[in-house]
Amino acid sequence: MASTLVFVGEVWLWIGAAVSVIFLTIGIDRIDEDAQGTYLFRPLLIPGILLIWPMVLWRWAEIERKGEVTLARYRPVRKSYPVAAILMSGLICLFLMSGWSARQTWPADVPAVQLAEPE
Amino acid sequence: MSVKYIPVQWNRNKWLYDAVMLAGVFAFLWIFLKWTPEATGHTRPVSPQTHNARAFGACAFVMLTIILCIGPLARLDTRFLPLLYNRRHFGVMTAAVAMTHAGYVLGWYFAFSSTPRMEGLLSANTSYFQVAGFPFELFGLFSLICLLLLAATSHDFWLKFLTAPVWKRLHYLIYPAYAALVGHVAWGILQDQQVDGVTALFIGGPLVVAGLHVAAVWHGWRAADHKTAAGDWVAIGEVGEIDEGRAKIAELPSGERVAVFLHEGKLSAISNACAHQNGPLGEGRIIACLVTCPWHGFQYDVRTGRSPAPFTEKIPTYALRLAGNVIEVNPKPNPPGTPVDPVAVP
Repeated sequence: MASTLVFVGEVWLWIGAAVSVIFLTIGIDRIDEDAQGTYLFRPLLIPGILLIWPMVLWRWAEIERKGEVTLARYRPVRKSYPVAAILMSGLICLFLMSGWSARQTWPADVPAVQLAEPE
Repeated sequence: MSVKYIPVQWNRNKWLYDAVMLAGVFAFLWIFLKWTPEATGHTRPVSPQTHNARAFGACAFVMLTIILCIGPLARLDTRFLPLLYNRRHFGVMTAAVAMTHAGYVLGWYFAFSSTPRMEGLLSANTSYFQVAGFPFELFGLFSLICLLLLAATSHDFWLKFLTAPVWKRLHYLIYPAYAALVGHVAWGILQDQQVDGVTALFIGGPLVVAGLHVAAVWHGWRAADHKTAAGDWVAIGEVGEIDEGRAKIAELPSGERVAVFLHEGKLSAISNACAHQNGPLGEGRIIACLVTCPWHGFQYDVRTGRSPAPFTEKIPTYALRLAGNVIEVNPKPNPPGTPVDPVAVP
């Protein structure tokens, strides 16, 4: 299982490397006029393309198909913030309380408890 | 803003911000590694690699805690807004510090077997159904991947390419990343942490973050002026409520926010969302017809929704009218950059 996960991760990054070569040499000049003739910043984009190359391909295709400006660009995601903030705060409390209650030496030093027999 | 991309748009404030941040990182590491080992939980001897891993891990934890405090603090009190500026550099530096922590961990705990290090990390502990002894490294790995993703997509190109709403949604990963980091610490080092000072930091920091975010949500809910549809136009308040050079922000029935500015005795309405990162333009101030976004300094002419040349950013404008003293806004936004004649206040 672990080796499969690592293999999938490696394949993902290799595909990302291929996408970054194509996008940074061909695609970026076609879809963003601010990038035309500028090259120094492009290596900075490589780590991002390695990680989110499906999103890069999706946006590239979308811009080629529809053009750039849509009103959705000006619609902030403000409504998601309260949900994200409350969920994060809840998870923080959950982790702290569960971690606290599982401590074997809290609040004062007590003998350690063996969780399981050694394998 | 929309000029040719360069690697980093440096200016004096960013140099200063980064210098203070770097000094803070070096000071933290120096204190953790060299100063009072009793205060940092190293009364028992540990290997230098372990010591380094803990120093960088604790540093990344503190940095991310500070980053997560900046947003709600700026929402609650505008005096904290300067900290928001250049927060992306703070995030990139945090990812680098966290990566160093992971490097020390992989290079020490998983370096001496025939199993490749990453495979070892993922397979060494499979006690998934208990808190004590849980493979807490997985929380750290998830958090690190999120931090790397956010750092890797922090250049302005990504904002324009993905669009601000998509970019913001992607960067909402900071919240699960921090929650996972708290899990990494609470189910990891806190299980063995004996020293009160560091324990208090690991518990108090996240509680401050959670408290500030809940307070910011509450503050935002109370401050928003929610409007309901009343025909084609929406009443958003009275003329006397707006100071010269300032705006009143109102939420339209569609959920979008409009900022109505008073400038030289005339009213203009633009989207409250900056085209850069959707910052709150209505909290900015007008100087020479240009409102400056309080988050990152982008500017727009409130009469046209356009940035001054050579920049090309545009935001939607809104038609407005007066019914006596009451300001009414047409809730349908104009296409970005559409000029609208300001309405004179009698």
